Formats: sequence, structure tokens, C-alpha cells
Amino acid sequence: MSRVPPAAVALLLSVALFFLAGLVQPNFVNAAQAINIVRLAAFLGIIAAGQTLVIISGGEGIDLSVGAVVTLGAILTFMISGGSSERLWLALLVVLAVGAAIGLVNGLGIVFVRIPPLVMTLGMAGVVQGTILAVTRGNIPGGVPRALANLVTGRFLGVPGAIYLWALLGLLMWFVLQRTRYGRELFAVGVNRRTAALSGVNVSGVVVLTYTLSGLLAALGGLLLLGFTQRVFLTLGETYLFPSIAAVVVGGTVLAGGRGSYFGTMAGALVLTMTESLLRSMRIGEAYQMIVFGAILVVLLSVYGRQRERE
Amino acid sequence: MRPSSAWLRNHTYLVPLVLLVVAVALNYYFQPNFFQPRVLNGNLRVMLPLMVLAAGQALVIIAGGIDLSVGAMVSLVNVLLVTLVTRESGPPEVLLAVGAALLVGAAAGAVNGLCVAYLRLQPIVTTYATSFLFSGVALAVLPRPGGALPRALTTFYRSAPLGVPATAYGIALLLLLWVVLRRTRFVQYLYAVGGNAAAARASGVRVAFTRFLSYVTMGLFAALSAMMLTLSTGSGNSRLGDAMTLPSIVAVVLGGTRLAGGQGGVVGAVIGVAVLTIIRNLITFSNVPTWYQTLFDAVVILLALAGPGIVQLIRGRRA
Amino acid sequence: MPDRDPPASTPEPLLSARGIAKRYGAVRALEEASLSVRAGEVVALLGANGSGKSTLGKIITGITRPDAGTLTFDGAPLHLSEPAQARRRGITAVYQELSLVPDLSVAENVWLGHEPVRRGGIDRRTMKGRTAELLASFAGVFSVPVEPDTLVDSLPPSERQLVEVVKALAWRPRLLVLDEATASLDARQVDRLFELVRGWREGGMAVVFVSHRMNEIFRVADRAVVLRNGVTVGERRIGEVDEQELVQLMTGGGAVAAIALEGHDAPGAAAAPPGATEAPVVLELRRFASGVVAPLDLTLRQGELVGVGGLQGQGQSRLLLALFGAVPHQGEVRLEGAPVAFRNPRQALRAGVAYVPGDRNREGLLPVRPILENLQLPNWRRYGTPLRMERARRDAAAVVADLDVRLASLDEPVANLSGGNAQKVVIGKWLSRRPKLLLLDDPTKGVDVNAKAELYRLLARLQAQGTTILFHSSDDAELLGLCQRVLVMQDGRVTATLEGDTLDQRHLVAAAMGAQGAGAA
Repeated sequence: MSRVPPAAVALLLSVALFFLAGLVQPNFVNAAQAINIVRLAAFLGIIAAGQTLVIISGGEGIDLSVGAVVTLGAILTFMISGGSSERLWLALLVVLAVGAAIGLVNGLGIVFVRIPPLVMTLGMAGVVQGTILAVTRGNIPGGVPRALANLVTGRFLGVPGAIYLWALLGLLMWFVLQRTRYGRELFAVGVNRRTAALSGVNVSGVVVLTYTLSGLLAALGGLLLLGFTQRVFLTLGETYLFPSIAAVVVGGTVLAGGRGSYFGTMAGALVLTMTESLLRSMRIGEAYQMIVFGAILVVLLSVYGRQRERE
Repeated sequence: MRPSSAWLRNHTYLVPLVLLVVAVALNYYFQPNFFQPRVLNGNLRVMLPLMVLAAGQALVIIAGGIDLSVGAMVSLVNVLLVTLVTRESGPPEVLLAVGAALLVGAAAGAVNGLCVAYLRLQPIVTTYATSFLFSGVALAVLPRPGGALPRALTTFYRSAPLGVPATAYGIALLLLLWVVLRRTRFVQYLYAVGGNAAAARASGVRVAFTRFLSYVTMGLFAALSAMMLTLSTGSGNSRLGDAMTLPSIVAVVLGGTRLAGGQGGVVGAVIGVAVLTIIRNLITFSNVPTWYQTLFDAVVILLALAGPGIVQLIRGRRA
Repeated sequence: MPDRDPPASTPEPLLSARGIAKRYGAVRALEEASLSVRAGEVVALLGANGSGKSTLGKIITGITRPDAGTLTFDGAPLHLSEPAQARRRGITAVYQELSLVPDLSVAENVWLGHEPVRRGGIDRRTMKGRTAELLASFAGVFSVPVEPDTLVDSLPPSERQLVEVVKALAWRPRLLVLDEATASLDARQVDRLFELVRGWREGGMAVVFVSHRMNEIFRVADRAVVLRNGVTVGERRIGEVDEQELVQLMTGGGAVAAIALEGHDAPGAAAAPPGATEAPVVLELRRFASGVVAPLDLTLRQGELVGVGGLQGQGQSRLLLALFGAVPHQGEVRLEGAPVAFRNPRQALRAGVAYVPGDRNREGLLPVRPILENLQLPNWRRYGTPLRMERARRDAAAVVADLDVRLASLDEPVANLSGGNAQKVVIGKWLSRRPKLLLLDDPTKGVDVNAKAELYRLLARLQAQGTTILFHSSDDAELLGLCQRVLVMQDGRVTATLEGDTLDQRHLVAAAMGAQGAGAA
């Protein structure tokens, strides 16, 4: 086991990739481009926040409903606010509540009905997508509140708001994981649920709360994403689903649970976004972009995504 | 009561079988011509490729893995087939294409197996990553949908020799293949490795090799599935298989196979596919407004998956 | 450097290991170990934990490769790189940690890795038939029916252990390593196993027997080989040696070693109860029952150390778990006079009950997490939000110092600690809570003699501070040496409560076996 934390490896890697890109594409390396990539990574990073918690919680924890919930968050914001900045607060409240409620149902199903997380959240993704279709019938009226667009894309000191928001979320996640009882107990639950329970940890409570937070964070991600995309469509969040898992894993959080950090996920999001941007800037065909992206993912995983043999 | 004999373990498909009977009965109610050969054949044609794919997925899941690249593998083999075969191709070209398809399927599976079994990468993310590789290659091979098969082949796939649909023979062959495979040490070791890898290793089972083989076998099943699918569609599309990945997993779980591995079987997966397909049929025929169909579909599947757990929950409360 | 060579008149050994050394990182597991076994001989391999006996066992059976030394088997050099190779040469082991696949049947497990094959497929009929024959040697001692088709998942630990033995036999070994193979067996099963071992010996099989139980060694072994700190320090014929001498060899004459194995005839020798009869009642049970545990009454006073004994797996662990609220239970429980009904460990914890599980790795520790987190897991609530980490760290450091846990840093994973130190962490997480009632489930299992002695001292100290302790142990000497009162359980029933004159080995064994007139009820 290397002493270097995976989060640092991922961060170094993304920086290295950036300058490597400079060799291939000299006009790639400049501050604007760097900021642009971090901004793109911010959305993936925000959406992957809940995924990080879920994966740390172990028990084959995974949340495949984040994509659908992101879409729902964006659509709800779009519809409720109707483009009015005054109604953004209402939209925020509803979005958070709905996201949390979906996560809560996931958590309850997983903990009390004992449905495997992969299956439960996959089913939930279908239900959420189905609900969106049934309610909107493909016709989504509404608008993007100016305040939201300003918040996400507006620049302060040359840096877009999304990046500040992401940094803020990073601090918040660090606080939750390292400086709250929930965070400490989450790691314990991820390593060994029986030990945790026999040490007085409310394991069911921690797991349910984790999926609830995941739903809430995904919905919030959808709201913020709307400020960036400025439009909604039914597959808006889906494209973030597997990258959100990949970002967590590339960031060194172990899929078996019990170990990891959100800083790692942030670095993972940077690596993934960097790779994608690099490939796009090289103007090679879509087919080869996919091949190279897949190959890079495999290489990244083999560098530090190895799982320990279960004893 | 805990099932104490191996019998129930070997017959995990009984619950999904009941589900299937109910689904068929309902379908028959809404669609009285369900059992007419033409309708039945149409249904089976849709089911067969996914059944073959789910059978492979079941083997991987039994061994404790999972494969999210199966759809991409199907796409890859599909574009390969339509590239090697044209409407005018004769038997030699077709045979060559079949051989190439199996080879490519096995090779793709070997890539997954290598990563998961020997490099010990996490299966979910790894096979997700390799799905990009396979999709990318598929897109490079066939950038635009197209291609065609000799008419004789597609006609054969739709035919009904001796009054039984050709696809029904396919399903029978698939089940027969499972009966044969179940007798092999390889499949026995899949269960052992998925159930307790450390114990299997201590007993002299080559754990990594068994895992590797499970993915290679998956690749072969994906190639077979792609052949069926190509016979059904008669053309190629580099995204053709994408939508099959998640259903293949849902079908396996629906068929009573535990995602954690070590238990379950192909029969359940095959039944799972039938249940999934019939549920879709039902939704179409039961006059559910179009916009609600996706929701309905998802809720029914979620309930089917959650069913055993809910039953246990209620039982647990009573005890 | 054996200090006395075994008699040289006997024939060439079947297996001989000379000068075996093995390191795991910085830890030297074996330095200069040697062992030889002849066909038709049962050799006991003895040593305290950390002496390297399990490493030596693993080297013989091909699980681990030695760094140095020579192995010969049947006159030819033996180079093993995996267990399968050892088995092909005729060397098989029965391990303490079970090597069974729960989802497979008994027959499938027994033949896993060498299934009989007919016409390219597994011959299930032959497989089942031969399994049935092998199971027949344990007929009559199974506590539940065991058939070739039975799922291993449905078997209790003792039957799994027997299946494990059958599995080893299916390989037709010439050398069988029994590594703590009796750990989860009941008395009848051990008797049967020993009968069989004697039969195998007659048939020319060589057996290496690893056990912590001195009496078993004297019952079944011909010769004892003693390891200490990775070195073979002596070999003795069983007929020419007594327990004291073997203990002396194992411990190198260290004073702490004796407590567990001595004290057979020293009832209540440990710290006297501080006013046992006048002290206030802490725990009172009326018709308390849970699962296999039949209704029982019990009164514990402050500062008492009460033992729970009997053969292993008679419901002792279940009793403790039920008291901790981890499993459902019925009956009346009063804690310091107030009725309580714990539905989960959290409630028990809040009421001042603490529990130290028997299976340290599965129930007590978070191996990959830092020691700090392991120590503070039950206690984070006390540090508010945000967690006051400095205080948590200080408190943890105090516990570590108090228990003399040897560690590099509070931030290192607890998996880096040795068994004894890890066990201290498991106990340590409760100490800062000053529990009223401490439940201990066989805490000295797999712990070396020094750590045991330290644990005994800790218990005495807690007792003196007024903590009430309910202490289950599978080590009779420990119970007799430490406790003022011992409940003996058999099949979930308390068959005797031993104290005063009846608190001795004879009564304990008699009660555990359910013999007549076993003791004061």
C-alpha cells in the first residue's frame, strides 16, 4: 500500500494531464482553459458528492438513481421558478425536499426491505424517469431564473460561481465526514456493520441518512446544473451517472466501503473532466475518443483502484 | 424455515416461475391471441437475445462479479457481423463471421476478465470503463447504422420448423447448454468462488482463473446474443446493444440470483427475461396512457424485485 | 536449537522440517523452527500465540512459503507453492478458520477442487455416496442431521467443523494437520474425533495436532514439539512430561504464563469481592430467556466478577448478546433496580452496559480504520458538533496509556496491532464510559499469555472500582482462577451455579457435561 493518499495522486494526475495536453495542443494550456475545465468538473463533482457518501457506507452501496434525480432537480427548478428569481427559493426548497424524499425511499428499501442497493436505486431511477415522463408528457414549461444563472456562471475575480460553490461543498463535505458524529459512524458502518452496531452505532439510521443525503445532493446538483445548461431535457442527468461513480473510485474511495474522502472525489472529477476535454480538443473522431477514454479509465483504475482480496 | 437442503438452492427459479405464470395469464387475458404461433413467435424473437445475454450475466454474477459492458459487447459483435456478411454472402462467409464473432466476444470478455480477475479491479467500474472501449471500437467499425444479412437467415429466424418457432428451439438449446454446463467443474467452481473465494482457494480452486473464465464465457454469450439480435434486426448499429445491459442484470436478479454471488442460475435468468418482456407487453395492452408506461414499467419491476424482501419483512414482523 | 533430541531409534520421519524461518515485513514469525513426524504418530505442536506454530502449520501445508530452511516428505525434498500441491503429495489440513462455502452442500464442499468426474461432468451420485460414507464416522455425534445434500449454511459451527474434518479426509491424506480443529466441537464430538485419530494412527497416518487445550494434547498426542518466539525449544514424549513442564517450555518460565493453566485448585484465588453480599444489586434477571437460552434467574451485585462457563456454544454468547440488547429476549431485567428492556445495543449502552465480543475481527474492530476511531466509536456523541478532536484524541491517548497498548500512533490502522493489543482496543473503547456492567464474551481467545495476564489485572482493577462483570470464557482455569461465582451452561440451560466449595474443576466439568449431582443449583 502506498503512503501517498489517492486524492493527491489523482490531483497530481489531473495537473500532469493538463500540461501533457499542452504538449499535444499548445493553445490548450492557459488560465481560461484551466478555469473552464474546473468549472465543468464542478458539476460532476457536486453530483458525485452523494455518491461518495453512499460508496463509503459499504454494503455494496451504490446510487444509480443520481442521474434521474439530477434531471428531476433541474426540471423542478425550471418548472417551479418559471424563470423567476424570486421563486428560486421555493424551487430550492422543493428540490431539496423531493431529492431527500427519493433518497429516503432508497434508504428504507435497502435497509428494511433488504433490496440490494444496485437494484433498488436502479429501480428508483426508472420510477423517477417514469414520473417525469408521466407528469410532463414531454412538454416542460418554465424558465431559468436569472439569479441562478448568475450564481453559477457569474464570475467573481475571474472565477465562475460554480467553482466557489464546489469549493464550499468540498469544505462542507470535509466537515461532515471528519468533524461530525455521522461522518465517523459512516466510516465505521462502511467497514463493518456488526462492529458498528455492537459499538452502539445506529446502523440503519446511518445508512438511511446516507441515501437521503445522496438524493438531496443529487437534486441540488440538478438545480445548479440548470444554471449552467440553461435548458432542460429528459436525459440531462443520465450522462453524469456513471462518471459520478468513476470520479469517486478514481479519487481513491474504495467500493467495498469504509475508506475514502470527498477531496479524492473532487480530484477524480477533475481527472475525468480533464481527460474528456483533452480528447475533445484533439478533434479526433468520437469513436476514438471513446476508446481512449475507456482505456484511460482502465489504466487509472489499475493504478490505484485495486481491491484488496477479501480474507 | 431456512431451506436446509441443496434442492431449494438449485431451484431458486421457482418464485420467478410463479411470477411468469401470473404474467402470462394476465397477458392472455388482455391479449387472447397471445398463444397464437405468430404472436408467440414475435414475443420469443424479442426475448431470445436478452435471454442469452442474461444467461451469461448470471454466470458472472454467480461468480461474484458483474458486467456492465455486455451491451457494448453485443453492439460490437453486431457491427462486426454486418460488416463481414452482406445480403449476398454464402455459407462460407457466414461461418467465418460466426467464428470471428465468437472470437471477438471471447476476446472482449478476456479483457474484462484480465482486469477484474488478475489486476483485481472493481468489476462495476472496470466493465463500465471497458464498455467505452467496446462501444468506441463498434463505432469505428460501423460509423453509420446499416448493413444487411442474407434473406435466408432472417427468414429462418422467423420460421417455425415443425410448427414450433425457431426461437423456441433456441431457448431449448440455451437451457440444454445450461444443463450440460451445470455438470462441469467450471460452473461448480463459479458457485464456490462467488460463495466464498477464500474457501475455494483453500480447496485448490484456481479462483482468479475461474473469475477470468466467467468473463470470457460472458463474452461468448454476448456474441451469441448479438447473433440472435442481428438475425432479428437484420442490420447493424453501433448502439444496438446499449439498452440491454441493465435489463440483463434486472432479469438475473428477478430470476432469483443473489447479486452478491454464489447462488442462482441460468434458468431463473431466462424466466426473468420472459417476465420482463411480458410486463412490457402487458403495459402496452392494458390501455395505460403512453406517458405513464415508463413509470408503470419501472414500478412493476421495482415491486417484482422488492417482492421477496417485502414478504420477508412481513414474515419477520409476525415472528 | 532443541534442547533435547527425541529418541533416535525410531524409523525415518515422514515429514521433516529443519531450520525454517519466515518473516512478515518486520515481524519475524519463525526463526529456527523444526518439526518431524513419523507415519503412525500424533505430534502436538505447542506454543503461546505469536510463537509461530500456525505459520509453521501453514508452511507444511503449502499456504505460506518459508524464507529459509528445508522440508522433506517421504524422503524427498518438498517445495510447496500452494495448498493444492501439498494435497497432491498427501498433506492436508483442517483449519480453525473454516474453509467452507456456505451456499454449497456438504458433498459439494467435501469434494470441492477434486470432484469425481464421469463422462466430462461431475459425478454427483458418487460424490454423495462417498460423502455419506465419510460422514458415517461421525454418526451419532451430530447435533443436527447432516446429509450430503445439506446446505453448509444451515449447519451450526460444530457441524461445520466436522464437515471440515471430513473434507480433509476426502483427500486421503498421509499427513493431516489438525489446527485447533476441536475449538468449536462439543465433548462427544471431541471424543469421537480422538477415537478416529487413534484409528488413523493405527492405519499409518501422521497427524500434527495444534491445540490450546492441554488435556487434549495429553489425551491424543504421542509427542509434543514446543515453539517459542519462532524457535523450536523442545520436544518431549507425552508419557515423560507433565503439564507444568510443557508450560515451562512454552513460556520460558515466565511468571505470567501460569494463571491460565494453573489455578485448577485455587477457587476464587483472584481479588476478593469488595463486600460481595452487602453491595447493591446491579443486575437482576427474572425468567430471562433468548433463543436457545432457557429462562434463568440471576442477581449480580456491584463489583462482582461472575463467570459463565461450560462447553463452548451452549448459549453463553447468546446470553451476553441478549443482555446487551443485540438479540431479542424475554423476561424481566432490572438494572440498579429499574426495569429495562433493551431493544438494541444503543439503549444498553446508554444505560451503562458494555460488551466485548468474542470474535474480535468480525465484531469488535474496524481493521482498516485508525486506532483513534476504533477507541472512540461508541463515544463520539460526547464530543459535540463539530467534534472536539483534540479532546477525543487526548481521551483516547489516556485509554491507550492506561491499558499499555503498544502502538506507533493513534492514526495507524488497528489492523497493524497484534492480537493482544487489538483486544485491548476493543475493551478500551468502553473504559472511558465507566460501564456499570461489563459483558465479556471469551475475551482471551487467541490472545497470548502476557496479554491474558494484563487482561486479568485490568478486570481486577475494574472490579475494585465497582464495575460488575459477567465473564464468559472457554478456558476453565481462567474461570476458576478469576471468578467468585460461575454459571455453568449446557444446551442453553444454567445447569449449576458454582461458588465456594463447589467452585472447582471437578464440579465445573461435571456440570458442563450434565452429570448427576453436579453442584449447587
